[in-house]
Amino acid sequence: MTESALKEKLIPNSEYCYWELNDNTSYWSKAFINNLGYQPNDVTIKLDFFLNNIIHEDYRAHFKDNFYNLVRHDVDFKQNVLLLSKEGKYLEYVCKTNDDINIDSKENSKTIFFFKSKLNTHEKVRGGTFYYHETAMMTSTGSWYIDFEKKKSYWDHITRKILEYPEDFIPSLKMGLKLYAKEHQALAKTVFMECGMSGKPFDVEILMVTAHNRKFWARAMGKPVFNDSKEIIGLRGVFQDIDDVKQKEINLEKTSEIIASQNSRLFNFAHIVSHNLRSHSSNLSLIVQLIDDMDSIEEKLELMDNIKDVSDSLNTTIEHLNEVVTIQTNADQHREKVNFAATLNQVCTSISQIISTNNVTILPDFSEVKDVDYIPAYMDSILLNLLTNAIKYKHVDRDPIISVKTFVDFKDNDRVVLEIKDNGAGIDMEKFGDKVFGMYKTFHYNKDAVGIGLFITKNQIESLNGEIDVDSILNEGTTFTIKF
Amino acid sequence: MNDKIKLACIIDDDSIYVNLIRKIIETKKLCDNLLVFNDGKDGIEYFETILQNLEDEFIPEVILLDLNMPVMDGWEFIERFTAIRNKIKKTITLYVVSSSINQSDIAKAKSLSSVKNYLVKPVEIDQLEAVFTKTA
Repeated sequence: MTESALKEKLIPNSEYCYWELNDNTSYWSKAFINNLGYQPNDVTIKLDFFLNNIIHEDYRAHFKDNFYNLVRHDVDFKQNVLLLSKEGKYLEYVCKTNDDINIDSKENSKTIFFFKSKLNTHEKVRGGTFYYHETAMMTSTGSWYIDFEKKKSYWDHITRKILEYPEDFIPSLKMGLKLYAKEHQALAKTVFMECGMSGKPFDVEILMVTAHNRKFWARAMGKPVFNDSKEIIGLRGVFQDIDDVKQKEINLEKTSEIIASQNSRLFNFAHIVSHNLRSHSSNLSLIVQLIDDMDSIEEKLELMDNIKDVSDSLNTTIEHLNEVVTIQTNADQHREKVNFAATLNQVCTSISQIISTNNVTILPDFSEVKDVDYIPAYMDSILLNLLTNAIKYKHVDRDPIISVKTFVDFKDNDRVVLEIKDNGAGIDMEKFGDKVFGMYKTFHYNKDAVGIGLFITKNQIESLNGEIDVDSILNEGTTFTIKF
Repeated sequence: MNDKIKLACIIDDDSIYVNLIRKIIETKKLCDNLLVFNDGKDGIEYFETILQNLEDEFIPEVILLDLNMPVMDGWEFIERFTAIRNKIKKTITLYVVSSSINQSDIAKAKSLSSVKNYLVKPVEIDQLEAVFTKTA
């Protein structure tokens, strides 16, 4: 910088330490330079020089925020700073923008005064600012302010940082909802409106979107700012980046859901085992009582037939239970790409006899989703069970028409959904809704109803973290919906 | 006084159990006739039908009712049976006979005014004899 240029930016005849800001240029008073022990030649009268060489680093970012807010938005500020003297010591100053001191300043110019702090709060303030700054940095907490009167919003540098906007980015009120993920814009609108209209403070966990379009979880807190006549003139608050914690929380929630569902399946299974085995054991015990009670050998031998019956049905039960246990152990079996159309074909071929005798029409539509990662044997079994179910419980007055289609559920993380819909007899949902998938529950008069198929199907689906739901209208038909 | 029960009713889907009970009843001559229904729906339809023609000989004095049954379970039967039993003058004693040892099932059954008692399967022959004589 040349001598003349330097002089131009120097305000010579004033006893006050201050800067005058005008037309994108900073002018420093000579007293400001001298006060720190410098000669005009020692310094470059530029903001960058001040930030890099004079102000203590702990105060740098804060001062920069304040400076830009003053220049761009006319926001006054008052801040403590530590400035490096020529001797190499940091001296404590208070800088403020509005003061009654009468200086000869140009029109439209802005002023920042530097007053040497008289109180010896030096270390305390320094410490305080340091800790404040560290806390904000380490907890990723940025502050913001919305000024209703000037219709402007302000961010500190940490807010810019967590939202991934450049350091000199100037937020505008218009961006408002863009900062939030689509699914949370309504929430953001509500809390900000309520805070602005009725002064209700808020503290919410919300998905925000950065400048680079990255979604992250934030905790947003805000409260109203009042003027002297108790009117709300703005909102201030903080955004805290809580993505790490929130992701862990979400994972934990998922894990606990999985564990809870496994636990309930196990509990259910234990209940089934005890109940189903009990009925056989009690029959056996009745037989034994009878044998004891009978007098003639012939009568006793007659009861042997009953033992055979019990033994047969006990075997069947054990086979069913075994099938259920296998599902649990199979859950970690290898998954591979399973093609819906191919699987359906295979299943239809295996039951072609039943399909033709019952005059069944099957309408497949896999145009939206063609395949899914799954255990092939399970897909076979699920389709087989649901198709045979639909045929078995067809409506007496019409031939079965079964539509099988796949789609993507946009509302639920784009999960693949398989829907199997029939025009059969239907199930009375009010009576049986909660029992459809229970073991040995049948709702029809068919003699061959066993009540094991849907139970197995549900267990297979749930062991792979899927869901199955049923909806049905009596005499109209039944729809099974499976989410993979 | 005639002690013997004329007509008893079993509502249960376990055919082995039903056959064994039948055998005990026959051997011990606990009653003259036995009505058997495989589920609650068949059972309740019978009672709803005899309301049209309330002849003593068609009304069982004892009902042994299972809980877990297809189509209509024991609970629903009790509910619908309770709704019509006032129309029948004859005393009908209802026992729940189930293999469920679930405490909440037992407590629920015993809390119902229509249910005389809850018997856990397997029933003892003595128990059965007591049921058939107590009510007489």
